[in-house]
Amino acid sequence: MSAVPGAAGFPGRVALTGADCFLRAFDAEIGRFNAASHISQLVLRLGCGFDVERFRALVNRAAEAQPMLRAAVRRRFGVGAPFYELAGAFRRAKPEVVVHDSVPAADDPAALPAIFADRLNERRSLRRGELLRFDVVRYAGADAGCDLAMSWMHQLFDGAGSEHFVRWLSACDRGEQSPGELPQPGELSPAAPSSKTFGERGDAARRWQRWVDGFGAHPLRSLAGPRRRTPQALGCDLITLDEARTEHAVAEAGRRAGFMTPMLFYMAAAIRAHHAVARARGFDPVSYVVPLPVNVRPRGAEAAIFRTHVSLLWFQVLPGIVDDFDALIAELKAQRLAAIKAGHIENGIDAMGFARFAPAWLYARMARRASPGELCSFFFAYTGEFLAGESSFFGGEIRNAFHVAPVPASPGSCAAMSLRAGRLNVTHVHQRGIFSDRERLLFRASLQSDLCGGS
Amino acid sequence: MRLNGENLARLRAMSEHTQDSLTARIFEILRDEILSVDSGFTPQTNLVEAGLDSLAVTQLMLSIEESTGVWIDESLLTPENLENARTLAALVHGELENA
Repeated sequence: MSAVPGAAGFPGRVALTGADCFLRAFDAEIGRFNAASHISQLVLRLGCGFDVERFRALVNRAAEAQPMLRAAVRRRFGVGAPFYELAGAFRRAKPEVVVHDSVPAADDPAALPAIFADRLNERRSLRRGELLRFDVVRYAGADAGCDLAMSWMHQLFDGAGSEHFVRWLSACDRGEQSPGELPQPGELSPAAPSSKTFGERGDAARRWQRWVDGFGAHPLRSLAGPRRRTPQALGCDLITLDEARTEHAVAEAGRRAGFMTPMLFYMAAAIRAHHAVARARGFDPVSYVVPLPVNVRPRGAEAAIFRTHVSLLWFQVLPGIVDDFDALIAELKAQRLAAIKAGHIENGIDAMGFARFAPAWLYARMARRASPGELCSFFFAYTGEFLAGESSFFGGEIRNAFHVAPVPASPGSCAAMSLRAGRLNVTHVHQRGIFSDRERLLFRASLQSDLCGGS
Repeated sequence: MRLNGENLARLRAMSEHTQDSLTARIFEILRDEILSVDSGFTPQTNLVEAGLDSLAVTQLMLSIEESTGVWIDESLLTPENLENARTLAALVHGELENA
């Protein structure tokens, strides 16, 4: 294995994780059908004082020291498992930091800058190492502050990794770490090696596929309908609950779903919000199928920054149970426990591991075969406390922070939730045209009613 | 309590598992199988601060069920009960007695 010139200790290549390849399959599909990429964003809403030049300088220094930030993702001669090509990465363009100055503030303080949506819908090239970029929108006015979006291809980080990266940048800025330091052990090493034999992993992958195929007994229909050729046009509605409402929501989540499993309360609320829209439309969804990302960083590598370290738990519920909030939560709890007991988190890792060697289109087809043309009813993620303990970023107070998670045009809807300084943020990312303005209001009203108890 | 097979198994589990032995067992599972901790991890260490998350806690409950035959519902896993291995063992012991 050749080392990377200029960065002693880095291998020449790093394998993608199975989850990276899963996401690469959807990136390829989005490229083919929707002329865009699978790009995620981390958004910081900052007070005045943010020093963009200091930030740009550090990003440049980090890019000079860390080849992963601009590594090309390739597959040798089109076969075998894909990898990040670190050798040669230093010849590629560094991540851009683009500043948009004197932008008038929107009437709605929750509205995100239009440029952020444009970035979410761009076509970026994994093969050219276009993995990361930043946009800083500085608002007109002395005390107006700015919004910063870090847009990243989903192979570079997962959600937790992107937060670790922002923490790392901030720690470098404070002088607690150096951009020239090599990553912590585990950050570049392969995912934890499986102790299973090849045959055992094959059996596990087949069990996972049978489990997912079983959802085909009640094939879902998403609000967007099956996959089709249409330009990706994602937008984001941000819903931020104030401290009192968040306190209520967090207490309810703990009481009804469990202190350690509040995401099932939030997921149930998201299912009911989609159901409110379906019912108003007179639409029969047949069933709701929703994946929940699960953080599976290897022990000892909890702060791993790069690559995707997730598996997916899948849930399926029939519309008949959705009206009863507590029954829905109980059903989600039962399904989660059954899936964990059956080993489907590990089975999913094995299945995705096999998929590393498969062509991307084949994997996407496998994931969509339970319900013809459909993948799931919507994406959902709950990531807990966002950047806990971080109060400022390069001199600017962090007023709010959250993920804006991408979703393919089908299912065309994603609800991501997280907590920041005692406030619950919900980012509802949706493909333009799937929700009418009235339906977006209905979605929001249903969600707030469930989270806040009728407010 | 009628002494059918299930109740006999529970009685056997109760006699086998004192609160101290449960503390030791839970501590071992956490240290060796679930958490990534150093020598500073003790039965008094706060579990959430030591890295216990939603998946880890479910895996822990499954291990406890395997050891004792008792399933601890998630609704009982309050911050107080998850304070450390001792408080969790007290919860499990109480559930064994009430089973």
